Amino acid sequence: MLSCRQLRKSYLTERGDVTAVAGIDLEIEAGRFSAIIGRSGSGKSSLMAMIGGLSRPSDGSVRVDGVDIWGLSDDALAAFRNGRIGFVFQFASLLPTLRLIDNVALPAMLGGRRVARDVYDKASTLLGRMGLGDHLDAYPSEVSAGEQRRAVIARALINDPALVLADEPTSDLDEQTEIEIMDELLAVNRELGTTLVLVTHNLSLAEQAQQIVHIANGVVVS
Amino acid sequence: MRWLLVSLALQNLGRRKARSLLLVAAVALGSSVVFTGAILMRSIDRSMEVGFTRMGADMMVVPEGALTNITAALLVVEPTDLVLDADALAKGQLTSLSRVAAQKIVRVEHSGIGSHHDSADLIGFEPARDFTVQPWLSEKLNRPLQPGDVILGAAREGNLGAQLLIFGKPHVIYGRLARTGVGTHERGVFMSFATLEALASAIGGRGKQPAALAPDKASGFLVELAPGATALQARFAILSSVKGVKVVAGDTTLSGIRQGLAALLDGILALMALMFASTALMVSVLFSAIVTERRVELGLLKAIGARRSQVLGMMVTEAVLATGVGGLLGVVLGVLVMRLFERSLVYTLENVGVPFIWIDTPRMIAFAAGAIVLACIIGVLGVLYPAWRASRRDAYDLVRGEG
Repeated sequence: MLSCRQLRKSYLTERGDVTAVAGIDLEIEAGRFSAIIGRSGSGKSSLMAMIGGLSRPSDGSVRVDGVDIWGLSDDALAAFRNGRIGFVFQFASLLPTLRLIDNVALPAMLGGRRVARDVYDKASTLLGRMGLGDHLDAYPSEVSAGEQRRAVIARALINDPALVLADEPTSDLDEQTEIEIMDELLAVNRELGTTLVLVTHNLSLAEQAQQIVHIANGVVVS
Repeated sequence: MRWLLVSLALQNLGRRKARSLLLVAAVALGSSVVFTGAILMRSIDRSMEVGFTRMGADMMVVPEGALTNITAALLVVEPTDLVLDADALAKGQLTSLSRVAAQKIVRVEHSGIGSHHDSADLIGFEPARDFTVQPWLSEKLNRPLQPGDVILGAAREGNLGAQLLIFGKPHVIYGRLARTGVGTHERGVFMSFATLEALASAIGGRGKQPAALAPDKASGFLVELAPGATALQARFAILSSVKGVKVVAGDTTLSGIRQGLAALLDGILALMALMFASTALMVSVLFSAIVTERRVELGLLKAIGARRSQVLGMMVTEAVLATGVGGLLGVVLGVLVMRLFERSLVYTLENVGVPFIWIDTPRMIAFAAGAIVLACIIGVLGVLYPAWRASRRDAYDLVRGEG
């Protein structure tokens, strides 16, 4: 499903090059729940960004279902992200001017391959599944942080992705909400068979994963 | 999909109302200056063109002792009993003169023109040689001037083609002059020598006929200088060859007005260029800030699959909407400014005999459309570079708020 070879990422800063990821090889099988763990600054978020087609590696390759995603053109990569990958970021990543249902429908609308009515029907179903059926027309500022995060999960699923990448999805939530969000993500992995990659520094969350990748100083340590 | 981008752009504009209004107001102001300036420039240009063709004589030759009225735009002889021989200048064979037009002017009372006690100036001219009356025609019948036809000054009432009784004799109103600002012209009734001379017996009545109505006499001559000849040369030539005349040259007011208008045009052009540049700069700076402020949102859009062209399209749509509305408001503002202008400066100019002719409506609409398109172009240019830069960055950099 997901294969990384000698993946490297360095950033140019005022103090020179800083290496965030220093040659990582990684294999993740389809349908599995994997966790990438490590301390802050270990390079786990940079790794996830490269896996998700969000940040171009300095070196190495990423293959998703056999496709070398960084060999694709800009537009093709955008279409790939849109159709095959769902993202749940560590911040509430909803557009504030759109209703929850519009936010959820947005990736499918951007893809432009489906009829708006079908898209909105599906967005409504997904929000209902996340317990937000009564908040379809609410704006992000009108719902709680946990509800926002659930809407983000619904958005990640709108295009039936093969891979969901979640980068610290519960970092700013209370314990109870954290459990609820993790339950939603695990349900997506189990019920829909979607490959789930969770980036976290929370070991108790990582323990639920079938595969744990421990990163330190930009390399896999276990 | 297109509507989604438009909708996002509209919502983004609505999110920061004060800033959006400021942007719209700045573009409106700039567009208004460009629109108004362009219309005024074209109108002034056209008016000057028409004004030059309507201009009166370079100088006037009248009997010594006659009153003269020199205005900015034309020369006219005031009614007087003093006359000259009709061929006085022709006899002199003056090479410094290119055109000479004789005029007969008679002031009459109880003629039937206007109210009972009104006096009226009947002004005779030779249609074939005239170059000071007919260029002022603002409307006329669709045929050549005939005996029995009269032309009314702007202040006279009467419909084209209607009958006008002068001393009981029927005449046809052939045309009407534009406003000249000169009383003699405003209130005058113009006609060919033949038409005027046909009224001689009626004008004279029981008394003596005015001297100017004699076939071989004229009240004065309006003169155009030959190319290259100076007023001083012509004056010297006339005074040395024709006795008992005085030569009156136009004053410098007209050239002053011309120079003033030319300076005004240059000023308007400079102001337009300055406004355009400053508006474009301001819009660019503003959109730079907007793109920077929204990089997380743009990164998010890229992350969920927006193509570079879609990100760019959304920002350009937003800019075009804001600046387009600004352009539209600028045109409305420009129309209001022009109405004020019409009631002040144009009125003053016309009162001193300087015609002001607005460009026609289709052209004005084209200028309005041009101003709106220009405003949109400013928006596109302003947003293009910052949006293009943002769209090229990695989504992850933007999401993290970098770039």
